[in-house]
Amino acid sequence: MSPRRAHNGGRIDRSTTLRFTFDGTAMTGHAGDTLASALLANGISLIGRSFKYHRPRGVFSAGIDEPNALVTVIKGNLREPNVPATQIELYDGLTVESQNRFPSLAFDIGAANGLAGNLFAAGFYYKTFMGPVAGPLKGTRFWMFCEHFIRRAAGLGRAGHEPDTDRYEKMYGFCDVLVVGSGPAGLTAARDAAADGKKVFLAEQEPELGGTLRWKSAAIDGRPADDWVASTLAELAALPNVTLLPRTTVWGYYDDNALGALERVCDHKAHAAIGEPRHRHWTIRAKDVVLATGAFERPIVFPGNDRPGIMLASAAARYATEYGVLPGERIAIFANNDSAYEAALSLKDAGAEIAVIIDVRAGVSVAARELAREAGGELLLGYAVTNTSGARRLREIEVQPFADGKIREGGTRAFVVDCLAVSGGWSPAIHLASQAGHAPQWDEALQAFLPPAPTQRWTGAGAFTGAFSTAAALGDDIAVNEPEIEYDPAPVFEIRPSGRKSAKAFVDLQHDVTASDIRLAHREGFRSVEHLKRYTTLGMATDQGKSSNVPGLAIMAAARGLPISQVGTTRFRPPFSGVSLGALAADRHGHFKPERLTPMHDWHVARGAKMYAAGLWHRPMIYGTGGETVEQAYVREARAVRETVGIVDVSTLGKIAVQGPDAAEFLDRVYTNMFSTLPVNKARYGLMLREEGIAFDDGTTWRLGEHDFLMTTTTANAGKVMQHLEYYLDCVWPELRVHVTSVTDQWAGAAVAGPNARHVLESCVDGTRVDNDALPFMGIVRGEIGGAPVTICRLSFSGELAYEVYCGAGHGQHVWDALMAAGRTFEIVPYGLEALGTLRIEKGHVTGAEIDGRTSPRDLYLDWMLSKKKPYVGSAMVDREGLLAADRIRLVGIVALDDRPLNGGAHIVERLGEEPRGSIGHITAFCFSPALGKYIALAIVKGGKARHGQRAYVSDPVRNRFGPVEIVSHHFFDPEGSRMHG
Amino acid sequence: MADIVSPLEPVYRRGAHGDRDGGSAVTLCETRPGSIVQLAAWPGREDAMRAAIRDATGFSLAQAPGTGHAEENRSAFGFAPGRWLVVDQIEGIGETLREKIGTDLGTVCDLSHGRTAISIEGEKAERVLSKLFALDFAIDAFPVGQAKSTAHHDVFTLLQRTGADRFELYVYRSFARSFWHLICASAEEFGYTVE
Amino acid sequence: MLIACPYCGPRDLSEFTYQGDANRTRPNPMSNDQSAWNAYVYERVNTAGDHREFWQHSGGCRAHLVVIRSTLTHEIKSVAFARETAK
Repeated sequence: MSPRRAHNGGRIDRSTTLRFTFDGTAMTGHAGDTLASALLANGISLIGRSFKYHRPRGVFSAGIDEPNALVTVIKGNLREPNVPATQIELYDGLTVESQNRFPSLAFDIGAANGLAGNLFAAGFYYKTFMGPVAGPLKGTRFWMFCEHFIRRAAGLGRAGHEPDTDRYEKMYGFCDVLVVGSGPAGLTAARDAAADGKKVFLAEQEPELGGTLRWKSAAIDGRPADDWVASTLAELAALPNVTLLPRTTVWGYYDDNALGALERVCDHKAHAAIGEPRHRHWTIRAKDVVLATGAFERPIVFPGNDRPGIMLASAAARYATEYGVLPGERIAIFANNDSAYEAALSLKDAGAEIAVIIDVRAGVSVAARELAREAGGELLLGYAVTNTSGARRLREIEVQPFADGKIREGGTRAFVVDCLAVSGGWSPAIHLASQAGHAPQWDEALQAFLPPAPTQRWTGAGAFTGAFSTAAALGDDIAVNEPEIEYDPAPVFEIRPSGRKSAKAFVDLQHDVTASDIRLAHREGFRSVEHLKRYTTLGMATDQGKSSNVPGLAIMAAARGLPISQVGTTRFRPPFSGVSLGALAADRHGHFKPERLTPMHDWHVARGAKMYAAGLWHRPMIYGTGGETVEQAYVREARAVRETVGIVDVSTLGKIAVQGPDAAEFLDRVYTNMFSTLPVNKARYGLMLREEGIAFDDGTTWRLGEHDFLMTTTTANAGKVMQHLEYYLDCVWPELRVHVTSVTDQWAGAAVAGPNARHVLESCVDGTRVDNDALPFMGIVRGEIGGAPVTICRLSFSGELAYEVYCGAGHGQHVWDALMAAGRTFEIVPYGLEALGTLRIEKGHVTGAEIDGRTSPRDLYLDWMLSKKKPYVGSAMVDREGLLAADRIRLVGIVALDDRPLNGGAHIVERLGEEPRGSIGHITAFCFSPALGKYIALAIVKGGKARHGQRAYVSDPVRNRFGPVEIVSHHFFDPEGSRMHG
Repeated sequence: MADIVSPLEPVYRRGAHGDRDGGSAVTLCETRPGSIVQLAAWPGREDAMRAAIRDATGFSLAQAPGTGHAEENRSAFGFAPGRWLVVDQIEGIGETLREKIGTDLGTVCDLSHGRTAISIEGEKAERVLSKLFALDFAIDAFPVGQAKSTAHHDVFTLLQRTGADRFELYVYRSFARSFWHLICASAEEFGYTVE
Repeated sequence: MLIACPYCGPRDLSEFTYQGDANRTRPNPMSNDQSAWNAYVYERVNTAGDHREFWQHSGGCRAHLVVIRSTLTHEIKSVAFARETAK
């Protein structure tokens, strides 16, 4: 006997046959099937192996709460593990594998773990592997040895190694009312809100809207429930103010009524359509939220309760009614409440035989008795299931009389059944409410945690509120015909065998946590719900304990002799169910990651530049010519600058327009040195500190007009400097009439540097002279190059005669081309960041590596820039005792005495072979200096200048680089600056 | 005068793209205005600045944040306290404004090269933009003429609604190409035309 | 979390940058009172309750705002332009 497709019935489309494979075996199903229903229809009841004990497991539920039937979906090169079969819509070509089995699902070596049962009880890993070695098979070192094997054996599916090539996107939604859940309560709420003219989103995690009405037998307004659903949906779909979101799980409830939702756009298709993402992540801001998330049925914990063929009663009924699948031929029902009687009748109507209905209660309602009579089969009141048997699926159950929460010995009866439908009561799905509310409260009558008082703008509806009937969900205005059962759950969560050794009774099926594990946790003192959860891992699996939480708490409460209301529950945190990382990263990742390109970007790439990501910017590192190493390339480029002329793209420098009558005063306050004295058409190098007197950023600022300055910043700090200026203008000196505007992208910049730089400009600049009189050091002129207006400032970062040529960004390439053409006579060489770095190291100019947030201006020998005539940001604290101490680490130059390369971050020590803990400082920047023919570096070293001429050693154990160095002045090359002033 | 080169040039492909079956629910266009100029008023001089904008453009803008107006070749809108953007297809409007706006009123800052202007139009324009920005694009929340400052990750963007289903976007030039790739990809599922 | 920017309206937290405690007063720039500067630069009250703080709408109009926010509930009690309320 096995599950099978019923001859008729269900909402599947029997005229459409879909092919799929499970562990390589070809099977078919119908449109409208889930993988779970299709597997059952194919007679498959063994779907996976359990987490620790590798026990055979089958389908347990019909929804998102599925703990057992997890599979790996394979699409192309991609594997998505741990997907509940109940959540996979069948499509033609679907390929899935079972998990956690070797070599095959039916013959699994790991099942031997089941024999070593008590070995793997709660706390096994902590007890065995933590702490010092106390014997050969104990302790942390033993863990190191065992880890590989344990990780292989335990756990769930295996993720793939291929990059995820699927597309994901984000979406922002705004609405008046977000309705979560589309059962009778959700549909009614959406319809009412829409009728009020509200903008409504209706989110449903399943592919079809309608919730329980898709498989319950109620009649609404005199029509079958599914007719009512279809017409209500048609009505909603036609409204312009309603958005229906099927396959969309609302997974998180955040501040200010912002909710996260995941829409699975094409998981149910073999191929995505053009432009279609796999998942779409919604951030929904709703003025009001209606939680109509329904309720989850709970299992009852009893010995042997995990065999394939044992499932929730509502799931069994749903397979029969919605999917036309009989989960068994001969079915037993085991319940502590009336709802299972409806399920029994549904199963009977679909064609199954109800062998027996077992109820722990001594008496049940008249309506329930009537349902039992219609369903057929024996009604055993005051009985409980106490054991089950069957190798790979259920074959037989044993029942015994049960009263006052205890099994009565004797009177054991056995029933041969292939399916056991269990109902241990219902728990409202309060997960989202718990994220946006106070602590949930235990309700004694319903034996469930009810939604807490809200801390945000939401209301509840339907089964979520504990009103479990369809009539209650629909409200008073709609006539409903359904069996008038009394829900009336008995407070029975576990059937605990007395004395004799019995089969394992599972609470958390996915993590293999048993009732005795919970009692063990209690005995060992892990009694609070939070400790219980972490010690046993109860509720921590991918299903997050949707079916196991309440039974687990009830067992702990019983062990402690307390009512459940006093034991409480853990807080539900987001996500409600799994959210793909791809959807969360979306366009922040891969191809669509934002990046910044300079106006000359395409030219650099076409010239073979090796590009380097500097923050979001892409900058040329070197321009490789065939076969050169990086070092050869930058040495060639840097040498060309020293010998003739080079050109470098400086468009990435931060540029800020500082405008207004108080601009000069403002600059005096934010820079350490004076800018109000700077004449128009002159530039000055400036240094900014933070309030505590630590160096913050440097750059040149150009006075373009009386009230008009152009400030440049380092590439990396452009955003921070902008915020720094805006902060002072808004919050500290609002009286200053100054506007700052980011103009980084307005200007393209090219620095032309080298002894022939002036000749290059002379041959291409129109409208101005550029000789030493017209354009002295730090002077500014305006002219044209190739018809494009340019602003030229004579300043040098390389120590050579050099000019920065700025033009409108849209003219950038044009001006660059003209400069290259003009430079051809002088063999102009484009140079990248590496050569730029080399030239500045040779000159001892500091950048971000030295201005690292810890160095003061004195540490960098920039004291000459600290004005004594005016206060500035940082002036009050720059002279603090600690910043004046003689043993501060200060800027020096380093020369490798062994002619080998140095590395950034390497330490400087006083004695050879000394470990870096004897460090007197570290290297911040390094290069091979073509000007000196040596490997050199900048470093910050204790004492700084006082050590010039001293021998020291580099100690870099990470790269195994040790050797002698000489500490020298950081002005390696042309310390008088004669070249740039020439 | 040299031509202004757009950062989108190598990736700008006119014609129909994406899902052709869906028709073309969106039209994307780089509008390449000749002038994009920022005006910033000193505190207390905002009304005078709006008057100057009226003199220069003929648009009288209301005081409320984000208020703007757009016509065929010209638009203006507020995007920050005391700050407006004036956009014109003609080059050099900055000079005209500079003459009208003295130091006592505020400042003029030319951004014509620094911002890339992209228009998006069509029945799915709101939907495409909803993928990129955390803004409510419904017309009652974002009326015609209105402008908003926002960001897509690090891509700072000014948006102005210039029609029931049309928006103009201004992004930093250096980000324009990666932003263009993204907005095209976002429109792909609906089918889009690059004009 | 939403911050209702007085210019742009309510926007997501991700558009804003925290810019520090707004209870501080910057000493007179000419002052050499090290304890006053120390207090300004380093000393903060770790408030459990309403906290006055600067936020910049960096992904929007770029204005600095003075926000009064409960550190216990994230509830925002008031938002105003820093230019108009600072000092």
